[in-house]
Amino acid sequence: MIVNAEGAPDGARRESAEPARPGPGRRTRRHLLRGLIAPAVAVTLAPLVAASRPPGEAGPSRAPDPTRPPRPAPAPGGPVEAAAFEETYRGRRIRGVRTTDGRALGGDDTWHVTVDGRPLHLMRRADGTWMSMVDHYGSYPTPLEAARGAVDELGPREHLLPATHGDGGHDLRRGRHGVHP
Amino acid sequence: MAYTRKDVTTLTRTEKRRFVDALLEVKRRGEYDEFVRTHIEYYVADGEKGLRAAHMAPSFLPWHRRFLLDLEQALRRVDPSVTVPYWDWTKDRSATASPWTADLLGGTGRGGDHRVTAGPFAYDGGAWPIRVNVTDIAYLTRDLGRSADPITLPTASDLKWALDDPVYDTAPWDSTVSKGFRNKLEGWGPGRGAASWRNHNRVHRWVGGAMVGGASVNDPVFWLVHAFVDLQWSRWQARHRDSRYLPAEPPGLGNAQRGRVVARHERMPPWDVTPDQLDDHSAIYRYA
Repeated sequence: MIVNAEGAPDGARRESAEPARPGPGRRTRRHLLRGLIAPAVAVTLAPLVAASRPPGEAGPSRAPDPTRPPRPAPAPGGPVEAAAFEETYRGRRIRGVRTTDGRALGGDDTWHVTVDGRPLHLMRRADGTWMSMVDHYGSYPTPLEAARGAVDELGPREHLLPATHGDGGHDLRRGRHGVHP
Repeated sequence: MAYTRKDVTTLTRTEKRRFVDALLEVKRRGEYDEFVRTHIEYYVADGEKGLRAAHMAPSFLPWHRRFLLDLEQALRRVDPSVTVPYWDWTKDRSATASPWTADLLGGTGRGGDHRVTAGPFAYDGGAWPIRVNVTDIAYLTRDLGRSADPITLPTASDLKWALDDPVYDTAPWDSTVSKGFRNKLEGWGPGRGAASWRNHNRVHRWVGGAMVGGASVNDPVFWLVHAFVDLQWSRWQARHRDSRYLPAEPPGLGNAQRGRVVARHERMPPWDVTPDQLDDHSAIYRYA
């Protein structure tokens, strides 16, 4: 018998199968969607950033620098050492904090990232690199670089979707499955 | 009888108009936005849990084949003469010639916000509002050639590199495999930045704007790109008669890819169809 990924018989109705979204991932998204992580970010971000900011890296008061190259080098330290990052890049406020409740296969290296306070949904590649909803056909070594790459793709008056509409794309994933011509 | 998908540069003025009009009508009916949603929904990356059907997976080709068929069916309900044309980016490499003309897709976006301002899909025309998006803009964007940091379109030799591989795909069936026709065509290369963007992925990035994001379907060039990708699968089959879609069987118990890729005879969501059933399109359409 032909079965799909969840063991449902081939031909099972798509409404009941929901094959591409197994439970754990969906539950995690809803945590994010409902803002359960956001308060934790607000409480913990400042000390984490202070502790993890490498020497010489400008803090939150840094002004946007229009002369900054569009695609800078990797962040000093990188995400392996740091539990959070925060910077202004091309006039956009980028913040990220590591969470432990993740979709990534490792389970312990998921990041909640915002640009100007709006959630940027990141995806993980099998090689460990990161991609975002606004930059889907390439990937970056760190979540911070993925966020900068997303900023590079945003127009001057273009913003991510507000958190109440999902975390940068999840809202779009809910509801109907498949194509209904 | 099978219909014909044509090289976009060979379309007559009337064929171009009817293709555009059918797209606008599918959009007006609200059907088009469902395609955008579906593509976003099924883009599951390979470093995450869950079945990935559309990208970073062997079913990249049959998934998009079926996706195109659904769009084409919607277009043909509006106008039965319409088929999806393909854009041969190895041959037609100018940002100002076909398909980027005002009577077809319109051209690149303007400076600053990359908004497309010419052609039937320009926001000011009112017929192509972006309703399903990953950002808050309602207009189509493009940045042909990536003006801030230019890249070139992939070449015929890039395509040949993929077509010459006699194996369809190899374990672990994801974006990290260095062998196999599928990933060489999909285009996840090693390294970082522009050097790692191959074939299909590189075309998305060359077009820029909407085509770089999860809502890439918002740019109608998506279909012309994927018709040409689909044609490569047919060419590869003709070149390697003894090769087939892989994996033939689902990964075994304990295999990290079990339940995460679609094997030859498994159902490929969101449809009740298997890669094997999409292996041969000759009864439905052919390429001219």
